[in-house]
Amino acid sequence: MRRRWRWLLPLTAVPVLALLAYGFRLNPHEIPSPLLGRPAAPFTLTSYDGAPVELAALRGRVVVLNFWASWCYPACYEEAPALERGWRAYRDRGVVVLGVDIQDKDEAGRKFIQDFSLTFPNAPDPHGKVSVDYGVYGVPETFFIDRQGAIRVKHVSALTDQIFRETVETLLAEPAPAR
Amino acid sequence: MKPKFLIGGLVIALALGYLIWAGVTQSAVYFVTPSELSAAPVSGKAYRLGGLVERGTLKWDPATLDLSFSISDGKTRVPVRHKGSAPDLFGEGRGAVVEGQWTADGYFKATQILAKHSEEYKAPHDTKEAQSKGLIKTLQKGDR
Amino acid sequence: MIPEAGTGALLVALVLALYGAAAAAVGGRRGRSALVESAQHAALGVFALITAAVVLLIYAFLTFDFSVRYVANNTNLGTPFYYRITALWGALEGSIVLWSWMVSIYTLIVILRHRTSARELYPWALSVMLSVVAFFLLVMTVAAPVFARLTPIPADGRGLNPLLEDSGMITHPVALYLGFTGFTVPFAFAVAALITGRVGDFWITTTRRWTIVAWYFLSLGLLIGGWWSYHVLGWGGYWAWDPVENAAFMPWLTGTALLHSVMIQERRRMLRLWNIALVMLTFSLTLFGTFLTRSGVIASVHAFSQGSIGVFFLTFLALVVLAGLGLIAWRWDALGAQGELDSVVSRESAFLLNNVLLIAATFTVFFGTVFPLLSEAVRDVKVSVGAPFFNQVNVPLFLSLIFLMGVGPLIAWRRASVESLKRNFLGPVLVGLGAAVVFRLLGVGSMLAIVALALTVFVATTIGVDLVRATRVRRAMGERALPALGGLLLRHNRRYGGFVVHLAILVVVVGVTGSQAWSVHTETTLKRGEQAELGGYTIRFDGLRESQESNHGKVTGTFTVVNGSGAGTVLEPAKKFYPQEQSPIAYVDYRLGLMNDIYLVLGDFARDGTSATVKFQVNRMVSWIWIGGLVLTLGTLLAILPERRKAA
Repeated sequence: MRRRWRWLLPLTAVPVLALLAYGFRLNPHEIPSPLLGRPAAPFTLTSYDGAPVELAALRGRVVVLNFWASWCYPACYEEAPALERGWRAYRDRGVVVLGVDIQDKDEAGRKFIQDFSLTFPNAPDPHGKVSVDYGVYGVPETFFIDRQGAIRVKHVSALTDQIFRETVETLLAEPAPAR
Repeated sequence: MKPKFLIGGLVIALALGYLIWAGVTQSAVYFVTPSELSAAPVSGKAYRLGGLVERGTLKWDPATLDLSFSISDGKTRVPVRHKGSAPDLFGEGRGAVVEGQWTADGYFKATQILAKHSEEYKAPHDTKEAQSKGLIKTLQKGDR
Repeated sequence: MIPEAGTGALLVALVLALYGAAAAAVGGRRGRSALVESAQHAALGVFALITAAVVLLIYAFLTFDFSVRYVANNTNLGTPFYYRITALWGALEGSIVLWSWMVSIYTLIVILRHRTSARELYPWALSVMLSVVAFFLLVMTVAAPVFARLTPIPADGRGLNPLLEDSGMITHPVALYLGFTGFTVPFAFAVAALITGRVGDFWITTTRRWTIVAWYFLSLGLLIGGWWSYHVLGWGGYWAWDPVENAAFMPWLTGTALLHSVMIQERRRMLRLWNIALVMLTFSLTLFGTFLTRSGVIASVHAFSQGSIGVFFLTFLALVVLAGLGLIAWRWDALGAQGELDSVVSRESAFLLNNVLLIAATFTVFFGTVFPLLSEAVRDVKVSVGAPFFNQVNVPLFLSLIFLMGVGPLIAWRRASVESLKRNFLGPVLVGLGAAVVFRLLGVGSMLAIVALALTVFVATTIGVDLVRATRVRRAMGERALPALGGLLLRHNRRYGGFVVHLAILVVVVGVTGSQAWSVHTETTLKRGEQAELGGYTIRFDGLRESQESNHGKVTGTFTVVNGSGAGTVLEPAKKFYPQEQSPIAYVDYRLGLMNDIYLVLGDFARDGTSATVKFQVNRMVSWIWIGGLVLTLGTLLAILPERRKAA
């Protein structure tokens, strides 16, 4: 009797291990934001190239809005190449990557863009208005905005290729808004 | 002899169970956002309230040690009062977690302010070196 | 070049460790000593390669090689020399390197010590040790590469977390990791015993000293951690029941249980199953600790960086736990008890109760630590339990344990007669009760403090009674008092080493009790020349001063502290401004005393230097905790001396 029961012994550890594994479900990088599901606040900035960057004009596209700063590393240094790769891979499918450089010095910001050969539009946020509107309290933070113009995902800390790809694919799979 | 040990074990298990149960009911702290707290505030219950310290709301009176500010999550703001100076990492526009209770007078009475310190995740800041040097200059003027 | 060499060394070490683990296992199974010898060479190679990686990393730190991400993250050009070396374990990746290095060192010692003495178990133990090293090397090469490059190369690094620039942070992780990794050895032998089916008492006697060493380093790590928390973090406490602290405390509790239950097995051939399970549990908890603190699953104010490392640790933890329990199930019949408990009133039951209480405390700490996770999984509410929970549940358990500390060593094995109970305990119990009355009359208000201190007196008296009695026996045989005592300590060094460790715990208990019961604190804003009074001390604010240090700016407040008798001393708490940090860091100033610590934290100050807000604490008897650490060291040294009894 007892001999057979003993093989159930390892099973006793399963609930504890399952509970710990459950912890991974809670991604600490995905900070719950009250802005999720809400329309992204409109803004117009001037990029480092001097071109205007207007969020409202991008309605109907999936927008990856990234807040960064040149003094933020390693996280910003790690994700910059991933953002550039994502931009190159998805720009033809209607995805726009926007970088907003916050609380930075002008030349440091330009050097960062140059060092990483970033080709997507990047703009300084001189008065910090955009970062306040988006409740940014650290860099890097990345907001994924769907084609309806609503914030869908907020990612805190360095973005990876995988998260970029998976999130953007999900948003692209949704139907475009009726016009 | 066996029954005695069994009974002893049972008594210990029951006592521990009671201690844990009583401990949990008395010291449970609920994590809430300002919106969740405003939706159903219960005065006297222990909360841990997390959000942003809203810009322009921070007031500090060194003479009375009264610290007050609002914690916001973008939708709702909760006024917070605290007795004592703020911790090092605390500041306007930054994330903070305050522990304490909701009072019937319509504000959150913080017993503890926790500002998070992280290795990889950095809050925005000015070029601090310049700032600290400026501060040091100010102090030098004050001394002479 | 250097990073590539380091990565290469770690990769080769991984391959060697895997080979060695396999070779030792096959050699053990087939009885082929050539294979086992080959595994030994592999272990030596693993050690040499990890050492090389450590040296390369230190070299990178010393030469400010910011092309290495880990170096750029943890130093900058202003980091002082010593901290450039200790930055090695300033963050996750380096800690893993340190960890694996320590296990590889322990593996070498196991080879040297047990190669011939534990022939059957040894190959399997070696295999387990090398597997553990291989796991950490795998983490290092895949999840947390310490030699990863950073491009573009920054002109200057970010610098070490300023809170870690402290001597406590140099020693704390080393001691803690020596403790954590030390439990690998008993674990390896336990697994070896299960695999070979030699679950008798041999593996326990072989690893007893290892357990003591690991336990000692873990204790030391905890105490130094408390010291760091006390004098750096500026809240005046040494223990906060933070998940990170709990993670280190749980293996300490189970390790303590193990130290005691081993004695029952040695003496009475009981608890085989229990001891094996305890070793497994302790080792699992060391892994769980790392999982907890590094995975980000439980939020902690210590806030370590997060990464995929959590998945690795959980997988390894699951493997260890499931395999361990499977092995136990496999050898279930052989693990049956040989002896029987004879009486409720006996040393066996005292030790058993000690174990039950320690496990109960472990469970409590575990439960409280994962409670946020549990409540979210079950009720979808985010609830945590804080320090009040841990104190409320653990204080009764710990008080009972202190009581047992007095009972256990003196009560008879098997069955204690009423006569022997009276002879051994009547005196100490009366002294303890008397002490309680005296404390009450002296005006001690807190019931808890009275109970804790009276129990301490009781236990100390039992130890004293035993020493006096044993010395008297030797004196009756013609020795003089002091040589008799010395001979006693050395000849029965294991028993009396244990007693000294018990005394150390008592000293710590007094420190904790005193500081919890009588410490006072206040916060106040003072104008220049103004005074504040607290707990028999007066402080006067004399002004602010500013300076530029090698890697930070500093604003220092000057306070003169005067005690009741008028002797004055100057304390200078400060705020440090690190360029890479967004906020100033408080620098605590304090004066330690046997009974009173004066502790000042500069909270805020007027920009013109005319006034300052200061947190002013008078902490009572905290120094006893650190003194307890010293006594603990003496006791442990005494306990692990080679036994002399047989030679005499």
